[in-house]
Amino acid sequence: MDQYVLFLLLGVGTGAIYAGLAMGLVVQFKALGLVNFGYGATVMLAAFQYDELRRTGDVVFPWVGLPSRWHLGDDVASPVAGAIVLVLTALLGLALYFAAFRPLRAASSLAKVVASVGIMISIQAIVIVNFGTGARRPTSILPDESIELFGLALPRDRLWLAALTIATAVALWALFRFTSVGLATRAAAESERGALLSGISPTKVGAISAVLASVMAAAFGIVSSPITGLDPSKFTLFVVPALAAALLGRLSSIGLAAAGGLAIGMLQSELLLFATKPWFPEWARSGAIDAIPFVVIVACLIATGERLPARGSAGGDPSLLSLRRPEGWPAPTVWLLIGGVGIVVTQDQYRVAMISSVIGAIVMLSFVVLSGYVGQISLAQGAVAGVSGFSVSLLATDAGVPFPFAPLLAASIATVAGSLIGIPGLRIRGAQLAVITLSGAVVVERLLFNNPDLTGGIEGAKVPAPSLFGIDLGPRTSEQRPSIAFGMLCLVVLAMVVTAVVTIRRGRLGRRLISVRANERAAAALGMDVVRVKITGYALASFIAGVGGAMMGYQQSSVSVSSFTVFVGLQWLALAYLGGITSVSGAFLAAIMLPGALLQTLLADLWELGDYNLLLSGLAVVVTAVAHPEGIAPAVSNRLAGLRRSHDLANVAIHPLDPNLQG
Amino acid sequence: MSAPSDNLGMSVTGLVAGYGRADAVRGIDLVVGRGEVVGLFGANGAGKSTTLNAIVGAIPRRAGSVTVDGVELGGPKVGPLAAGRLGLALVPEDRCLFSQLTVAENLRVAASSTVRATDQVLQCFPALKPLLRRRAGLLSGGEQQMLSIGRALMTGPEVLLIDELSMGLAPIIVRQLLATIRQLAADGLGVVIVEQHVHLALRYVDRGYVLRRGEVVLQGTAAELTGQRHQLDEAYLGAAMRGSA
Repeated sequence: MDQYVLFLLLGVGTGAIYAGLAMGLVVQFKALGLVNFGYGATVMLAAFQYDELRRTGDVVFPWVGLPSRWHLGDDVASPVAGAIVLVLTALLGLALYFAAFRPLRAASSLAKVVASVGIMISIQAIVIVNFGTGARRPTSILPDESIELFGLALPRDRLWLAALTIATAVALWALFRFTSVGLATRAAAESERGALLSGISPTKVGAISAVLASVMAAAFGIVSSPITGLDPSKFTLFVVPALAAALLGRLSSIGLAAAGGLAIGMLQSELLLFATKPWFPEWARSGAIDAIPFVVIVACLIATGERLPARGSAGGDPSLLSLRRPEGWPAPTVWLLIGGVGIVVTQDQYRVAMISSVIGAIVMLSFVVLSGYVGQISLAQGAVAGVSGFSVSLLATDAGVPFPFAPLLAASIATVAGSLIGIPGLRIRGAQLAVITLSGAVVVERLLFNNPDLTGGIEGAKVPAPSLFGIDLGPRTSEQRPSIAFGMLCLVVLAMVVTAVVTIRRGRLGRRLISVRANERAAAALGMDVVRVKITGYALASFIAGVGGAMMGYQQSSVSVSSFTVFVGLQWLALAYLGGITSVSGAFLAAIMLPGALLQTLLADLWELGDYNLLLSGLAVVVTAVAHPEGIAPAVSNRLAGLRRSHDLANVAIHPLDPNLQG
Repeated sequence: MSAPSDNLGMSVTGLVAGYGRADAVRGIDLVVGRGEVVGLFGANGAGKSTTLNAIVGAIPRRAGSVTVDGVELGGPKVGPLAAGRLGLALVPEDRCLFSQLTVAENLRVAASSTVRATDQVLQCFPALKPLLRRRAGLLSGGEQQMLSIGRALMTGPEVLLIDELSMGLAPIIVRQLLATIRQLAADGLGVVIVEQHVHLALRYVDRGYVLRRGEVVLQGTAAELTGQRHQLDEAYLGAAMRGSA
């Protein structure tokens, strides 16, 4: 019994960082009107900076390329180190506010989600470039000797963290409740115009909140990282349990968010203990604790989804990405021809890159359907494609299902998985949808993909070479070089998917998808079954992603978890958005920019890119979201159309009012 | 014209503003002295709201200047914050209250250091007194309009600009508000009101301007305007009458 209580209390360690992040998420949502997915990464950066400063005496600045280290001294005292890191974090918070959050305040929720995902990717990359991918455990800051409490030997630092969490929650609550800054923040959050007319500068109060949130959570990160450890692949995703806690507080109550964070940390710790027991199901041992935030999020959103404050988006998304007229066939045809010629004329690594681009285009088209046409957001397409990738291995290798049927079945399984993640999203939209899909992706990765029985462990899951009517369509020729036949197979699959997408967009279903995207209530008023239309959209997008995942499986012939991690899914969304998420051409453009695809292979030939490719795609996405919210392809075609039209426009002046009408 | 030019207040000259490529306001001159209530009249689309919004910088000025008590409001890009510091306060058409905040908080949020305290606002609008702890979103239309004016007063303005004072309000409330505004002017405030009920408003204002297609077509004291009833109706309906002719 004591052991159970002890584990519960030990969970305060991770609970504190969840609580710190959750409180900051609430502050940011209140003041800036957005859910900051990059928050965990920002805090991780601060914890790394602090640890590095203590270890080596180097101040590490949050950039790459330029010299980023400055040796301060050989033994930097912890208060000095803490102060320096918090100042750096405050500056980073300010920079992010003015570069991204402030310009995006009236943007669509998709642009906001994508930009904060871009920030997450960029900062993650900055951490990896500056500190490496390895995990580390900083030395304790808080006193960690045990004290005797109710007959248990409990490390003292857990009590400190609990006290810190409660004190911070009370302080933040009081700040918002009683001070003039807090009042101004609440006012500006509700009506920017009202604030201006009342003599409040929304920019100023927004900046204050941005800095406050960064510094507060960074402090939590620094003091709790000795307990949680610093692992670049995990710490960034602490934002998921933190989001669960923030949703418990309905994104508005700081106290509930803090309590939720502590509770989730404690539950996870308790579950770790359960997982060592013989009765605990074997398959769930590694990933069970990651399911807790997902369950909490789903429960919160289903229970209160309709009542969550939807800041700035009441009555529909204020600024949907504009959608082009149904695209014609010329552009996709040209892209496909380029792909076909490219596969034939290139060889070796460039042929691989061409084929990767072709397969990538399939995956990217799933975003065009889901986000471009139905207006939904998914951070889980990596997981959906992965379900198909691993399924194709199980089906083709273990069950011996032959070629065209194995991928079709696998894609169908992915359709079910994607729809399952999407069903809780039927009642919610925007950033909340992003939250639920992100937590779903984490569960799929930790619970399914990290399970060696399903996914083959380190060796990966084998996928046999496809063949049809006795023709070998495998990805490699007998001399182990990339084969044209496989490339053509992928191209044919892509052509079928493109045909389907363009046909759907031009037809009745496409009009339904788009009317639901534009205005659900109006669509319902016209007699459309909004739920069915949305599920159709999800299913369609998941099936397409599944087809892409299956083809990725065939190409790799041994599927590994690293192809379908949460971060892969995030980068996919980011690039799909960068290319232009509302158009088929945008999907092709995005596909070229995917990791391992054409652009990066070219760049890698010219420069040593390494970890920079993640950073570049992250930054490019933030810039796109701020400057060209519609993505590259629509921006280019608008420019072209503008050139064509400018001649006519030059001759059209606004006519002054008819003089006869003037009094 | 009886504009008291020696009496400081707000003076607008050559104001041009608009949306997109069109100018909705095309060179308006407007003066309001301290202690004076001035009406801004005109049909829908005449440019009344645009004028007020451009004066405080809620939309950019394309040309023209605004001075308050002889001090010029900075360049055309200057926003409502600077206008507020100079002593202009706008009560917008949609009121822009903070519906999640209480009445007291709505007032307190706008308080600058130099100003009338909440008490003085409550003296003007005693109806708000029992509602201080209620959320602004739960108020009736009349109470919201009082709160909106009250919030503007909290910023300590020299000149108050009120857009669509009576929109959606019962006539009795409108008369009360107009009477209160007269009282405020008696205490030295300059007031510009945009009002659809011209003939009611003419009983409360000192002077009036009538806009049509972004230009002042008629101006004068309340008595002069009341006497020019025909021209007034013409200004409101003229375009429509000629259009149908």
